[in-house]
Amino acid sequence: MKRISLLTVFCVFCAAFVYGEDRYLEVRAKRFAYTPSIIKVNKGDNVRIRLISEDVAHGLYIDGYEIEISAIPGMDGHLTFIADKSGKFMFRCSVTCGEFHPYMVGYLKVGINWNLYAGAFLILLLGIGSLTAALKANENSHKKLFGVIPLSWRYELTKFKPVRALLKSRWFPFTFILFNLFVFVIILIANFVGGYSTGNYNFGVMMVWILWWFLLMTFLVPLVGRSWCMICPFPIFGDWLQRGKLISVGRQKSWGLNKRWPNKWRNLWPLVILFFLSTWFSGFFTVRPLAGGVFLVLIIGSAIVISVIYGKRTFCLFVCPVSGFQGLYANFSACEVRVKNPEICKDHKPKTCVVGNEKGYGCPWMELPYDMNRNTYCGMCMECFKTCPYDNIALNVRPFGTDLVAERKHTDDRYKRRGLDEAFKALTMMGIFLVFFRAYQTPSAHFKDMIRGTTLKGFLTYIAEATVVDFLVIPIIFLLFVFLSKKASGNKEVSLKQAFVNFSYCFVPLGIAIWAAFSINIILANGSYLLHVFSDPFAWGWNLFGTAKVPWSPFLTGVMPYLQVLIILVGLAFTLDYGFKFSHQTYANLKEAKKGWVPMLVFLLAVTIFCLWLFIG
Amino acid sequence: MERREIIAIALFLLATLGTIFGVFAVEKIRRNKLYDLELIARAPEHGNWLPQEFTVSYDTEVTMLIRNIDTATHGFAIPQLNVAAREIKAGEAKTVTFTPTQRGTFDFMCTVWCSDRHLEMRGKITVE
Repeated sequence: MKRISLLTVFCVFCAAFVYGEDRYLEVRAKRFAYTPSIIKVNKGDNVRIRLISEDVAHGLYIDGYEIEISAIPGMDGHLTFIADKSGKFMFRCSVTCGEFHPYMVGYLKVGINWNLYAGAFLILLLGIGSLTAALKANENSHKKLFGVIPLSWRYELTKFKPVRALLKSRWFPFTFILFNLFVFVIILIANFVGGYSTGNYNFGVMMVWILWWFLLMTFLVPLVGRSWCMICPFPIFGDWLQRGKLISVGRQKSWGLNKRWPNKWRNLWPLVILFFLSTWFSGFFTVRPLAGGVFLVLIIGSAIVISVIYGKRTFCLFVCPVSGFQGLYANFSACEVRVKNPEICKDHKPKTCVVGNEKGYGCPWMELPYDMNRNTYCGMCMECFKTCPYDNIALNVRPFGTDLVAERKHTDDRYKRRGLDEAFKALTMMGIFLVFFRAYQTPSAHFKDMIRGTTLKGFLTYIAEATVVDFLVIPIIFLLFVFLSKKASGNKEVSLKQAFVNFSYCFVPLGIAIWAAFSINIILANGSYLLHVFSDPFAWGWNLFGTAKVPWSPFLTGVMPYLQVLIILVGLAFTLDYGFKFSHQTYANLKEAKKGWVPMLVFLLAVTIFCLWLFIG
Repeated sequence: MERREIIAIALFLLATLGTIFGVFAVEKIRRNKLYDLELIARAPEHGNWLPQEFTVSYDTEVTMLIRNIDTATHGFAIPQLNVAAREIKAGEAKTVTFTPTQRGTFDFMCTVWCSDRHLEMRGKITVE
C-alpha cells in the first residue's frame, strides 16, 4: 500500500514536471497591488494571464521571463507563455501608475524553487566549513582572515608621489565637492519643479534614492568607507561660514557659538535615532519629488544651523541621518587613513593634525588622527595629509573588516562609544531593511498604504510596528542567542551586555550584504529610468543626450537572483569568519570561544537563510 | 585675497547660482523659440488641464508643449481637428504641432484612463 502511494506521488510529480497543464488566471491590477499577488504554477504549464485594470493604466512585466503586457480599464491585457523556468520571479507594473509605481510588484512562483534550496544548501555548507575551521582554530588563528590573509596586511597608496601630492592639494577633494554641489543644485531644482508627479520620472528622486543609495551600499561604503562624506556637498556652506575661507586655510576656530556637543551624545546614539526617524517618512521622500526636495533642504538647512552653533563637523558626526550607517559600515571597508609611524607623532608638539596649521585645518571630524584605529568617525576629508609636516599619514588598502576587531581606545570609553550605540545601529539597520523590503519588494498592498500614509491610523500603526520590531523584537531575539552563547561557553566573568555588543558586529558584513542585495534589485529593475532623467532632468521636454525617449527596460532580471545569492554568501563568509574572532575577543580562552560560538553561528545561519528566503524564496 | 580663493568662490557661484539662473534662462529662451503654447496635464482631482480654455489663430501653425506633471499617464486629443498625442507618461513632456483649418470652439480631452474622474478631464480650444 505504502509502495503504491509513493509510486503515485512520484508519477504525479513526474507528470507535472514533463507535461504542462493549461492554466488560466485573471489578475486584477489596482494602484500599487495585484490580486492575486502571488501566482503559483507548475513548471511547463501553459499559462494564460488576463490582466484587468480597475483604476488607471497598468502593466505587468515578469522578471526573468522578460515579457510584458498592459491594460487600461475596459481593455484587458492578455499574455500567454510557457512557464519553463522554475523559481520565484517578481512581476512588476510597467506603466507609470502613481508614486509607488516602481514598487507595485507581485510574485510568480514556478514549480520547485531549486535556487532557494541550492542557496540554503550553500549557506549551510559555508556554515559547516566555517565551524570546522573555527573548531580547529589555534591561538594565532584570529590574526588572519579566512586563515590566509594576515589582518595586519596593508598596502600604502600614498607611497606613490602623485597620490600623496593629490591628497595634499587643497583642490582635493574640493573639486569633487564642487561637482557634487552642481549635481545637487540640479537635483533640488528637479525635486521642486517635479512637485507632485511620480518619482520614477524625476531626476532628483532617481539620482538620490535609486543611483546614490545603490552606489553607497554596494560600492562606496564597503570598498572605500566614508568616501561619500569626503565628497558630500552639504557641509560646504557651514565650513565656509566657520572658516571664513572657501578653499584656503582661514580661521581654525569658528566665529560662531562654537559650542561643544554634549559628551553623552558623542557616539552613534543620535544617528541611530535620527536615521530611524527619517525612515518613517521614506514612503514620501523616496517617491515624491517635492517631499524629497523638502527632505534635502531640511538636511542642508540643519547642516548650516548646526555649523553656527557647534564647532567643526558636529553635524556630520552626530546629526546627519545617513552618517551613522556609513560610519559603522566603514569599519568593514577595504580602505583606511592611518598614521604610518606612531613614534614620529609621540614627539610632535603641537599636534598639527588636531590643531591645524597654515596648510590645513585641525581634524574637522574631531578625531585624533595620530591615535585613530577605526573608521567610524573618520570622514576622509584628507585635512591630516595636508597638516602633517612629516608626511606620516597614509591612505592604506587593507583586508576587509579589520576595524571590527580593533582594540578599544580611551576616547571610546570616555564618550561611551562602541557600546550599545553601535550595537543598536547594526541591529536597527536589519529592522529597517525588513521594513523597506516589505514596503518596496513584496506585494503587500496593505503595508504600502500604511507607509505612504493613506490613513493617519495606518501610518501611526506602521510607526509603532517599526519601533517595536527595531528596538524590541530584533534585539530581544538576538539577546536570547547571546545568552545561549554565554551559557554554552561556560564563561561567568563577561557581562551579557559586553557579549551583546561584541557579537552585534556580525551584522556589519551581513548588513552590508543584505542592503546590497536589496539595492541591486531596485537598480536593475528601475535603472533605465536614469537614462530618461539624464536627458530630461526637469521634465520640460529636453533631450540633452538623446536618451529621453528610452523606454523603461529592466536589466538582467534573470541573473539577479544569482547575484543576490552570491552577495549574501560573500557577506556571510566574512560574518562567520569575524564572528568567531568576536567570540575569541569576548570569552577568556579559545575553548570557551569555540563553545560560545556555536549558538551564534546557528543564529546567523538562520538569519541568512531567512533573508535568502525573502529575496528568492 | 589669494588667487586660489577667488577661483574657488567663482566656481562655487557658478555651480550654485550659475546653474540655477542658467537652467531657467535657457528654458525661457527655449520655450519662447519652440512653443506657442504650454499645456499642463493633471487629473481633475489634481487641478485638471491648465489652461482649461485657450485660443489659437486660424490657419496658423501652432506648436504646443504638453507637460504631464501628474502621477498617472495622460493623453491629449482634439478629435474634431484631428490632433492627438497618444500617451504622455507621468513626468514626461510631449510636443504637438498642428494647423487649425476650422473655425469655432472645440473640445480637447484626455485619452488615457487616468483616474476615476477621467471623463471630466477636458477643456475647450477656440480657433479664431
